[in-house]
Amino acid sequence: MKKGKIKFTFNMALFLIWVVIFGAISLNAPAFLKPNYIINVMLRNIVEIGMVALPMTMIIITGGIDLSVGNILVLSAMLGGMAAASFGTAMGIVVTLLTGAICGLINGLIIARAKISPMVTTLATMYLYLGLARGISKGDSVYAYDFAENMGTMSIVGIPVQIWIYSVIAILFIILLGKTTFGRKLYSIGLNKNATKYAGVDTEKMLIVLYTLCGIICALAAFIWLGRFTSVKYDAGTSFNLKVITAVVLGGTSINGGFGDMKGTVLATLIIATLNSGLTVLNIPIDVQTIVQGVVLMIALISYAVVNVRMKKKKIVAIDKTNVASEA
Amino acid sequence: MKKNLVKKLTAMSLIGLMSFSTMVGCSKTDTAGSTKPSTSEGSQAAKDGKDKMVIAMLPKFKGENYFDACKLGAQEAADELGITLLYDGPSQDQATNQKQVDILEGWIAQEVDVIIVSPNDPTAIAPTLKKAQQSGIKVVSYDADADPEARDLFINQITPDAAGKGLLDGAAGDLKAKGYTADNPANIALVSGSGTDANQTAWENAIYTLLETPEYNFMKIQNKDTDVYYPGTDETKVNSECATLISRMGEGADKIQAAIALSSMSTPALGAQYQSAASKPDATKITLTGLATPNALKTYIKDETNPLNSGVLWNCMDLGYLAVQAGYQLANNTITTDSTSVQAGRLGEKEINNRECVLGDALVFDATNVDNFDY
Amino acid sequence: MKTNKKKSSLSTEFYLMVFLVAALLLLRVFAPAFYSINNIMSLLNSFSYILISAIGMNMIILTSNIDVSTGALISVVALSVAAIGKQGAPFGVLLIAAMVIGAVLSTLNGLFITKLKIPAIVATLATTQIFQGVLPLTVEGSIYDLPESFTWLAFEAKIFGMIPASILICLIVAVVAIIFMKYSKFSKKIYAIGNNSNGARLAGINVDQTIVITYTIAGALFGITALIVATAGQRVTTTMGSGMEMTFIAAVVLGGTSTAGGSGRIIGTVIGAFILAMIAPAINYLGISANWADAIKGAIIIISVLVSAAKYIKKKRVITDQMRQLGGEA
Repeated sequence: MKKGKIKFTFNMALFLIWVVIFGAISLNAPAFLKPNYIINVMLRNIVEIGMVALPMTMIIITGGIDLSVGNILVLSAMLGGMAAASFGTAMGIVVTLLTGAICGLINGLIIARAKISPMVTTLATMYLYLGLARGISKGDSVYAYDFAENMGTMSIVGIPVQIWIYSVIAILFIILLGKTTFGRKLYSIGLNKNATKYAGVDTEKMLIVLYTLCGIICALAAFIWLGRFTSVKYDAGTSFNLKVITAVVLGGTSINGGFGDMKGTVLATLIIATLNSGLTVLNIPIDVQTIVQGVVLMIALISYAVVNVRMKKKKIVAIDKTNVASEA
Repeated sequence: MKKNLVKKLTAMSLIGLMSFSTMVGCSKTDTAGSTKPSTSEGSQAAKDGKDKMVIAMLPKFKGENYFDACKLGAQEAADELGITLLYDGPSQDQATNQKQVDILEGWIAQEVDVIIVSPNDPTAIAPTLKKAQQSGIKVVSYDADADPEARDLFINQITPDAAGKGLLDGAAGDLKAKGYTADNPANIALVSGSGTDANQTAWENAIYTLLETPEYNFMKIQNKDTDVYYPGTDETKVNSECATLISRMGEGADKIQAAIALSSMSTPALGAQYQSAASKPDATKITLTGLATPNALKTYIKDETNPLNSGVLWNCMDLGYLAVQAGYQLANNTITTDSTSVQAGRLGEKEINNRECVLGDALVFDATNVDNFDY
Repeated sequence: MKTNKKKSSLSTEFYLMVFLVAALLLLRVFAPAFYSINNIMSLLNSFSYILISAIGMNMIILTSNIDVSTGALISVVALSVAAIGKQGAPFGVLLIAAMVIGAVLSTLNGLFITKLKIPAIVATLATTQIFQGVLPLTVEGSIYDLPESFTWLAFEAKIFGMIPASILICLIVAVVAIIFMKYSKFSKKIYAIGNNSNGARLAGINVDQTIVITYTIAGALFGITALIVATAGQRVTTTMGSGMEMTFIAAVVLGGTSTAGGSGRIIGTVIGAFILAMIAPAINYLGISANWADAIKGAIIIISVLVSAAKYIKKKRVITDQMRQLGGEA
């Protein structure tokens, strides 16, 4: 019960932040308020990051991290594009999804079975996937094919198809994390992995499934990415990794695991989308945009920390007064 | 009770800080704008129903003297014509198509009048440029071309043949003077950019073709996998790859005798890495040359012990100037895509051929004239 | 437990050393030109700037923290020293300036992490964006045409006329660091915090202060790297350090330091940094396209951590089927 309340506050705060940013930008740049711009630019630009942020939220809740998502996206888009060019669209789709799943599976296997920390594992696979994409493409761009192009440009009832896809996946993930035992087990892995294991949960299998799922979502995002930009180059994913993590953290998920909320991630994605396109419309140079994003993240982190420390303090006071001194 | 208060306070302070940071963001642009008055007026004009024409210029990346010089020329033309110039681009380590598309979409939403762009990837940027054209924006490519059907005009600084020839001449002259002939051939290496830029790719191909001709066939590229470098646009990467290349240079068939750099990032890096090499390859046996602004090469060219003796370039300021002039006239219909010439202010009349306008010839500079340029 | 850990990290270093020697021998056979003085010296130069920062990163990781803002921080320092160097400041001044600026910025990271209780990875993620954004605001583009006094380190400072002085700096830093980490009281605190932060606190260690000081020291080391990178040529741009943090972290991880903190030695980092510095020139000399460099880097890191994990698991006598699976993956 208590937890529900806290989450509500975080999400409310996020929502208010979004309203403020949105309002401030709209006042300064009327071009921003056109529905066409909001749908076709603001929302479309964030879909890939938003999609990958969903499984990333789960991974971070288990106390893990995945630094290789951007590179999985690029590698699967690239191999899919190359397969489509030589063997047709169907092959392209299969190869894209398969690449994403295999990359995720490799991450999962190393993390769960070899017990190597997620950060080290995905740091290494980040180089590996980046390097494979670069080596296989020989540094050239790979271009979109009909299916990917549709994913990136088609609209259904006036709304781009990728926004539909994102909405469906987001709802599925909100349910998966919030309403299923799978979701609850993820929290318990993040809080105490060994205890969860002894309670009879096959944590290894869950982690492998989770990282593979993340790879598949990356592959889905890869279609959209390839369609939207019509080409992909090996270095496209580098800044993507940290952007995804930023979205998750801004959404209130604790990087230490065990605590977080999918709705927060969705709201944070919206905030980043608004900031990105809004600042561009205001003709604020890219460099300043980076600062603003950094500051926003910083402020969010500080306020989470403040609230967390206070909560913790109170709990401890209630349990054992003598520990307070050392905790503070 | 108290807990609620904390929560509320946090939420409030969050909102306060957020709006503050947004404001800071805004006010920062204003101060930035005050140093470049036309920029801030520009966004104003865009809002208040277009009193002034707005031209937006997008380089491959910001923060390097080549594109900075282009910008100077563009600003000069903008001041002359009394229009507003917007200028933004990716940072050097993120000179990618994605970043360029992000910026372009913002400009399309604001309905600028002209977009002038130097694409990092000609095919990949095409759909976005087409979108701009559909919403009535004139698209001009400069420096590097986009897909021809995605732009109205290409302001080309130099034809690929002239560029390839200029670069090879710089190396060939020096190599011949150092005793290399058809019987005593020289191995050469190229340092290109990211591998997808239209201009560098075109120059590279022109060089490959020219290397087959009798005039240049005493120079050979042994292995395109290892002897053509693509270090991208990041200074540190460029430096370390150039250091490796310099260490492979020297006399002998297994070494490289000439390095030609095709980007303004890598030519000065070659000079610097030669300078810092532990045991410098014999300067009387090798040569370095490439594209760069004169300012970036000055010291190396004047240093007689450094084998970097000449650089190749065109007038960058004129390139930016011509691009803005042409964009302006396209937008107010003084010229169309069918025009065969453009009256480009102080540059006089420039010929347009098949929607392509060539600025002029390569400018080769060496110790005798490097001081005459200031960019 | 502790001896166990130590042994496993020792074996990592041993395996790395074997791998390194094997690689060097292979290069001797297939690419003898690799051993030209020029190449070795330019390799050692990049080795030295990677290692100096990797040592700093190693200390941070030992406290079970991390710093992903290093690349952006190095860019800031590089540009700052360029602005100072433009006025003709001599090398000594530049060195002090670089170390001070690096230390100050990194201390900020440390303060954010300890005072505000923000996990290191996200705190430095936020400062990365701030560092990155501040740069282009303060300078228009790059600083070029820097004077001779600025490029002195790269162009002139050669020991015996050939060994770059950056290697000497690196040697001093490495030796001091090894002694420091072995014998100083402070290093015991770092290991203690990494092993068990609460335990260290209860044992009377001022955890926050120790972490902040660790960041400060690391920052000074990042500053030295920034100076070496910046003075490589007459032009300093705004992205000199971008992406470097991953190389440093990779060198530390490759060297057997656990990202959970508390275990790992400088000597492993030295070997790790050397292997990473070697990959790019080595494959160029072997006639392999530079496009494969990153894939090889990734594969080496994965194999190395898997090998040391396998060692560790064997020691703990984990059931055999788990080992078989592990072998399959490797």
